[in-house]
Amino acid sequence: MAFDLTAASAWERPRAALAALLLPARPAHVIACRPSYLSPLGWLGLQALALWPHGVWLARRAADGSDDPLGLAALAVFAFVLWRMRPQLRIAPQTGWLAGAAALTAIANLALFFAPPLVAALLAAFALGAGMMAWQRADAARAPLVGLLLLALPLLASLQYYGGYPLRLLTAEASTALLQLAGVAAERSGAAMTVRGQLVIVDAPCSGVQMVWMAYFCACAVAALGALPDGAFLRRLPLVGGLVLVGNVLRNTVLVALEARPQGLAPAAHEAIGVAALAAVCAAVLLLMRRSTR
Amino acid sequence: MRRVRGPLFPLLRHPVAPLTRTGRVVVCTLLAVWAFLLLVAWSPAHADDAEALPAEGPYFQVAGGDPSIDRLPLKSTRVDVRVAGVIADVTVTQHYRNEGRRPIEARYVFPGSTRAAVHAMQVRLGDRVLHAQIDEKQRARIRHETAKREGKTSALLEQHRPNVFRMNVANILPGDDVQVELRYTELVAPTDGRYEFVFPTVVGPRYHVPATAGGPSHVPATAHLGEGEASNTRFELNLRFASPLPVHELHSTSHAIEVQGEGSAQAEVALNDAGPRNDRDFILAWRLAGERTATGLMLFKGEGRHDDDAGPEGENFFLALVEPPRAIAPSQINPREYVFVVDVSGSMHGHPLATAKTLLRNLIGHLRPSDSFNVLLFSGSSQMLAERPVPATRANIERALATIDAARGGGSTEIVPALRRIAALPKNADVARSVIVVTDGYVTVENQVFELIRRNLGNSNVFAFGIGSAVNRHLIEGIARAGQGEPFIVTKPELAAAQAERLRRMIEAPVLTGLRARFDGLEVYDVEPAALDALPDVLGGRPVVVVGKWRGEPRGHLVLEGRAANGTHSEVVPVGTPDAQAVALRHLWARGRIQQLSDQEALEGGSARRDEITALGLRYSLLTQYTSFIAVDRVVRTGEAAVPVDTPLPLPQGVSKQAIGPAVGVAVPSTPEPAAWLALLVVAVLVGAAVVNRRVW
Repeated sequence: MAFDLTAASAWERPRAALAALLLPARPAHVIACRPSYLSPLGWLGLQALALWPHGVWLARRAADGSDDPLGLAALAVFAFVLWRMRPQLRIAPQTGWLAGAAALTAIANLALFFAPPLVAALLAAFALGAGMMAWQRADAARAPLVGLLLLALPLLASLQYYGGYPLRLLTAEASTALLQLAGVAAERSGAAMTVRGQLVIVDAPCSGVQMVWMAYFCACAVAALGALPDGAFLRRLPLVGGLVLVGNVLRNTVLVALEARPQGLAPAAHEAIGVAALAAVCAAVLLLMRRSTR
Repeated sequence: MRRVRGPLFPLLRHPVAPLTRTGRVVVCTLLAVWAFLLLVAWSPAHADDAEALPAEGPYFQVAGGDPSIDRLPLKSTRVDVRVAGVIADVTVTQHYRNEGRRPIEARYVFPGSTRAAVHAMQVRLGDRVLHAQIDEKQRARIRHETAKREGKTSALLEQHRPNVFRMNVANILPGDDVQVELRYTELVAPTDGRYEFVFPTVVGPRYHVPATAGGPSHVPATAHLGEGEASNTRFELNLRFASPLPVHELHSTSHAIEVQGEGSAQAEVALNDAGPRNDRDFILAWRLAGERTATGLMLFKGEGRHDDDAGPEGENFFLALVEPPRAIAPSQINPREYVFVVDVSGSMHGHPLATAKTLLRNLIGHLRPSDSFNVLLFSGSSQMLAERPVPATRANIERALATIDAARGGGSTEIVPALRRIAALPKNADVARSVIVVTDGYVTVENQVFELIRRNLGNSNVFAFGIGSAVNRHLIEGIARAGQGEPFIVTKPELAAAQAERLRRMIEAPVLTGLRARFDGLEVYDVEPAALDALPDVLGGRPVVVVGKWRGEPRGHLVLEGRAANGTHSEVVPVGTPDAQAVALRHLWARGRIQQLSDQEALEGGSARRDEITALGLRYSLLTQYTSFIAVDRVVRTGEAAVPVDTPLPLPQGVSKQAIGPAVGVAVPSTPEPAAWLALLVVAVLVGAAVVNRRVW
């Protein structure tokens, strides 16, 4: 599917944009003639409205400073891609997915009474994903969009809480082994390392959880924008995790080796190495997704 | 029309059709998500810190957090001092203002003088004044917690160590102006005719083993600012004299001061320091005209009913302060053995260790060849110069100084094992041993140190040198008291030589030994020290201090007798008329008695003297380790829970960040990821570039 950039002009015509959002799209090839008074985006908007308590919770979490509001970026890309694929949406929804979306919407709202808000919001994201699938063609990039919806949730703090320590342990162990291979005196004790007699801790901000989010965001965004088929996307997705692990271990190893010097490491150099490692991992993710498109 | 089919339809068929490859991936993904949800729902690792152990010890404050919370509510501390003779009346006013949008509970750990008798507290909340009451510590804490929950403003003042207090002011609402005023009295005794008033402004970061890791005591969490970071709390100090004699030679070794009326009996002193003022002890020294001191026998007569059941108002008190004669150098000096115990831990790193080295060069460099000595350097472990004391030859002195010079300062402060090692050293019965401890005192094991010295170093004189700008004087003075020596404080390298010289004079020529006192004609009781016929030796120019109660008529005299270098020395002090203004004697006596009971308790272990100390604290309205001051407002002012805020303390002047060691993460490097916004920018650029160049792929 070609990526049509000319539609960006719609932003310059607000009335036309509003009409396009609310009225049914006029696809190039009419494949059904069921009467419809609301566009698919309108239906999805109504479903999102039904899930408003989750939206309020998301907004509050984004503003309270407990988590970096990275989810907003995922939400923005999701909205943009959906807007771009508006002409390709079905006129008649798939009833199975539609029924699933309705059921999940109800469960997500009921879950507010008995489940933690994040779990309820996760159900809401799946509900919205199911609703979106009902309107999408079978060959469209659906899984990356669901991925973006999941990434829109404030996941980082929870990931850090449940997965942070194992990741830190793994990173510290692999970094220690790498340093030892390079002939540097290093040993690990818990999530702390002693390198050339200097203690360096692999604490929560070093776990690589942020890199995990960035890499998956990168994968979902490029796959969604490039309309990568679901099967190819899902088959490649586990490799993204591996790339992140390798990238974080290398980043940590270099930083630990430099921090353990008597003069330490300047904060700017520290930041630059972190950015370079992230850029390398994301570039690898992009290549991974590119190869799969062929 | 095309038949509309969804992905759920095949699942309704019977038998179920085999899944496609994509279907298998979808099913696996759903199963993984379901497993994750189950894990979250039933995980025992909930983020509930209700039963978490409280934080302990010093830590560096991290900036940021909720902008609606005022993290620095303590805006200023004002100190007003009135010195009348040998008694200083001090009023400390802490001014809290909440500039945030949520109610807070301000917590502030602050130092106090080791001799302070804190006897009153009041809280000004707008136009209202709440008078604090003294209460048993646990009960006061319960009252405070209850008031806090009910939404009432409440202030609780607790003693954590004899010279470390903690103020908790709960429910300071946004926009509130709260002034907490506490008053204390202390004795300013002259040494060699020179008076010194000390007001500590900051608690140094204490090394301790957390109670959770088997440490001996719980130490409150104290937030510290980073190295070189100044506190934004304003600090003002004003001191007025109401002296019987003109005041001369007023000077401060710690701060720049502005003096008015020097040479008169009503001199006034104010701070004149442009830089940070509250990162070190304020030290002011002076002399009285004509080399005289305001010493003698001071009496106070109570006005209430005089019996044991009545309050302390009916009791009469006295304070005897007698100057020793001038020391005369003896003609023959016996050889002595010196053991120097030097703290080289992280808190001594940099300036304090440099001061200690200068001091040791002065002390060791001037030993006589007939003396012998040894040096023990300690931090987490200890290092001894030699197995046995070595003669003070030039070569040995040079070797010792080289060893000391090589010390860089780092690691923990395990003072108890170091002193145990000294106690285990074999001793020659013919040679008198002096143990000289050089430290900043940033530890929390004071009681263990005192007990160890009393039990094991009884056959030596132990002298303690406190090094730095904000020394833990409780440890330094306690070591000297337990080891029958003298405390010394060296704040700067340039003051080291004079203090070393003072120690030499003191060791070589004790002024008075075999000292005893008796009152003729005046009926005295509850006297401190209790054994008047065996008073401790007077080593330096410090006066003999005796406090107690009296009854009957104020007449007769005090006789003090002892052996001086040139024979028997006797001093007779007549009993004068009671001074109606000397009500402070009541607090000073109670403070002295509590001090003595606390020393006994430290020796016996546990809290054997708890009831006696509590009773004294409640009767005389004094802050002790078992009694606290509590002031509670009657008005319920908020329904919102107050957010606890720890007021950060600056690091004492000259103390490096190494004082807060690797037990706290900030001092240790780590490898955090780049800032989130920067990372997102990089990813956005990469994705954008990929999408734009998609045709090139």
